[in-house]
Amino acid sequence: MAVSFSNFCCLRRLLISSTSCSRAYLSGFKSNLSLDKLYPTSRLDITTIPKAPESKDGKFSGYIPMDKIQVNYVRSGGPGGQNVNCVSTKTEVRFHLASADWIPEPIRVKLAERVKNQISKEGYFIVKSERTRSQQLNLADTLDKLRNLIHSVAQSLVVPEVSEETLERQRRLRERAARERLKEKRAHSMTKQGRQSPTLDS
Amino acid sequence: MAGVGNRVLAGTDRALDLLRELPRLSLSNIRSNPKAFKRNKRGRGQHGGKKHGAGNKGSGQRQNFMRLGYETGNNPFYLRVPKEPYYKGHHIRREYPPISLMQLQTLIDTGRLDTSKPIDLTALCNTKLFQLSPFENQYGFQLTDEGLDNFKGRINIEVQYAPEQVIAAIEKNGGVITTAFYDAPSLIAMRDPMKFFASGTPIPKRQMPPENAVEYYTDPKNRGYLADPDLVALERFKLAQKYGYELPDLKKDPELLPMMLERKDPRQIFFGLNPGWLVNLKDKKIFEPEDEQLLEYYRS
Repeated sequence: MAVSFSNFCCLRRLLISSTSCSRAYLSGFKSNLSLDKLYPTSRLDITTIPKAPESKDGKFSGYIPMDKIQVNYVRSGGPGGQNVNCVSTKTEVRFHLASADWIPEPIRVKLAERVKNQISKEGYFIVKSERTRSQQLNLADTLDKLRNLIHSVAQSLVVPEVSEETLERQRRLRERAARERLKEKRAHSMTKQGRQSPTLDS
Repeated sequence: MAGVGNRVLAGTDRALDLLRELPRLSLSNIRSNPKAFKRNKRGRGQHGGKKHGAGNKGSGQRQNFMRLGYETGNNPFYLRVPKEPYYKGHHIRREYPPISLMQLQTLIDTGRLDTSKPIDLTALCNTKLFQLSPFENQYGFQLTDEGLDNFKGRINIEVQYAPEQVIAAIEKNGGVITTAFYDAPSLIAMRDPMKFFASGTPIPKRQMPPENAVEYYTDPKNRGYLADPDLVALERFKLAQKYGYELPDLKKDPELLPMMLERKDPRQIFFGLNPGWLVNLKDKKIFEPEDEQLLEYYRS
């Protein structure tokens, strides 16, 4: 039989009002190892939802707003009998790429070019995954793919600042490589000429 | 009857007089009748008797034995089975019997679990559908991801291990999940509270996790009970981004908020009961220690 402690009239149960602050725990008992002693500077609040990091200055923050994308679940392909025929485990994430302001403009343009085969006629970019047997895990995979794609596009846009010394060094190395190649070429040419039978002119 | 003056006493009177003067009868001043039991005359020999348990002739009597386990040349029993490194420390390894999300959903749907109260190990054991044996190195329950896609319950649950996707599934539905450690005596109390209270033992204080488990239970990613709640809030947000759902605001339901945030102290075993308290179910009383030393001990 389940024990219901609320029936005991002699129990002193301290209920701290949570309207003013959300405490992580409300029990009356506090030992020397309670969370407020382990983390004295913490607010001890698991309910706080941090502000989403903004994608500004042309850099993608990694945050994908779930209200700006559409998620569809469809049936996957391949073998699997009743499970694959009935359960919608394939996850599709789509959004209108041109109007996606959560992706910075330069990245959006480059992305449109890179994935032009995965953009529909109406301009919706579609990312799919049917990697696992679970909808939720496939959704996580889809978002992972999308995030990695956007990050790699952002990375390709970043032009690294090269110092003058490096440019100078690269120029010298290229010229040296060319010189060596021509030297070898000439030496090889002499070898081949040396194999020819001598003529009266030479 | 004896006369008062002359003291010419009969046999009984003399006996009674004797009784008055003699010491009280006890085992030290009585003895059995002669020949009531036979005395062992053969007391010689320290290890008992003639051959001293060594038998006749041979290596046995001559005390020339082979080493223990030797089987006169054939492969002895203790060498026949090789040692395998894979089972090293198996007797120390902690086990966590699984409960799937599918089972949990079924329990909620059929009303076997009360979602209006926090669900902990005691609540799960009270359903009588899951057995826990601390004597067999079982340290609590783990949640598995079977039934991940169809889990819809909104609960405040405390288990001993849960993988990332299970944590995501529970938080997605507006619930709260915590992973906590309980040592063996605490588990024995928790899995059958009525039996424990009937034993008349004060509620013990929960011990800290062993060294190899401290990292797990202090990590906010695992929603450990020893982790900083602010970091847990951050991890909740990150997980929502990873698994693609809008993190529900727990503050939106002020009636459910106290229940959702309810947590035990790291030294506490039962909700609402402190370590050191003695619960008397029969008389419906709880006895608390008043001695300062005891209170200090249970609080430490």
